[in-house]
Amino acid sequence: MSPVIRRRGEEFTLPSKYLLFILTVLCVGMIVITFNTNIFTGPLNTFAGVFVVPFQKGITAVGSFLENTTEKLTSITKLIDENERLKQQIDELTIANTNLEQEKYELTELRNLYELDAQYEDYKKTGARIIGKDAGNWYHSFVIDKGTDEGIAIDMNVIAGGGLVGRVTDVGPDWAKVQSIIADNASVSGMVLSSSDNLIVSGDLELYRQGYLSFSKLVDDADKVRIGDKIVTSNISDKYLPGILIGYISTIDDDSNNLTKSGRLTPAVDFEHMNEVLVLLDLKKNIGAGDR
Amino acid sequence: MNFLRFIVNFIFMIVSFILQTTVFRVLDFGGVTPNLLMIFMISTAFIKGEKPGLVIGFFSGLLVDIFFGTYIGFFALIYMYIGYVFGKLHDMFFTQNLAIPIFLISLGDFIFGFICYVLMFLFRTKFDIGYYMTAIIVPEVVYTAIIAIFYYPFILRVNNLIDERELRSAKKFV
Repeated sequence: MSPVIRRRGEEFTLPSKYLLFILTVLCVGMIVITFNTNIFTGPLNTFAGVFVVPFQKGITAVGSFLENTTEKLTSITKLIDENERLKQQIDELTIANTNLEQEKYELTELRNLYELDAQYEDYKKTGARIIGKDAGNWYHSFVIDKGTDEGIAIDMNVIAGGGLVGRVTDVGPDWAKVQSIIADNASVSGMVLSSSDNLIVSGDLELYRQGYLSFSKLVDDADKVRIGDKIVTSNISDKYLPGILIGYISTIDDDSNNLTKSGRLTPAVDFEHMNEVLVLLDLKKNIGAGDR
Repeated sequence: MNFLRFIVNFIFMIVSFILQTTVFRVLDFGGVTPNLLMIFMISTAFIKGEKPGLVIGFFSGLLVDIFFGTYIGFFALIYMYIGYVFGKLHDMFFTQNLAIPIFLISLGDFIFGFICYVLMFLFRTKFDIGYYMTAIIVPEVVYTAIIAIFYYPFILRVNNLIDERELRSAKKFV
């Protein structure tokens, strides 16, 4: 039965059950080691940088080129119609713009007053392209085309379209892995902008299919938090920079303990159609140290 | 296992992984992509037996771990055991029929999905198995099976070519 006997003429081969046993022990050992330390990340990430990332980059580049050309060809007729409509819209918008400019003046005044001027325009950031998404269908992490060579480090925040996308969890020389906030195992400490109440935003696979994130542990005795309120990252989060937009509240429910509230929020970022992201090059802990 | 086979398998593995994470992410149905690594691993296990199955399973899983796993070795372990178990079936079935390997690939992907659910979701008290079945596991199995109809014969063909080459060179030496 054993392969040692069956394959005559060949030199010694290790029976597969022993190989299975050895590799099992190896795997368990590696799980335990990576659970506690991160010794392996260096060499393995370099391997990935050499063999896989260049191809992912190439394919993504070709893919987006093809996508762009087909889009260009199909959309010419649409564009002519759209052009007409847009010209009309310009007129309307000019009027709206003058109104808004007045309001913007008001806003800057109020912002100064509110000391909210530490918006994320101030953070240093770099653009990156998404070159690969999670191999499985369970979590939502992806790979971007910049790494330590561009100054990216673990725990840097990633945004797109003005909203929070996630944070860097692993980094190689020219690539980095980003865990998004919609992943089922991710949670962010957030804050309701209008009332400064803290809450926990967590990704949920089931809710995300319907376009939501869930939030919980909102303490709001005065019932001030309303549907549509903005949720931003909180000041007390140890990984995320404060004041980055996460999304808008869409439902609020009382918890059974009558102390806290939970519900759903609509994320600010369209995670399905995300091609480029911005990585904020400031780390939360450095900012804290700089202030002191 | 000779050098040529090693190189071919390595290329197959890397290409499957890259396609899975780039091209098929664009061609997804309802956010679900086919598991090409699973197709390649089970095909090889089925064609060549348990040992190649478990070795390829180990390295495929390791590749997934490096990029997307939280702990290195987790997916390697799951893939490896699936490869080993399906490699055992190599002795039992006749490989010319296309229906059996496609069925086995679907079964393997289903088992993989179920293990993932149990280890990553059930243990975190997410009990709604019906939802995860209909939204992820079953669509992934169906999509994987459809891709496997085209991918499996290709893998089989390449394997046969290598077999022939090996046979020829063996004869030359005798």
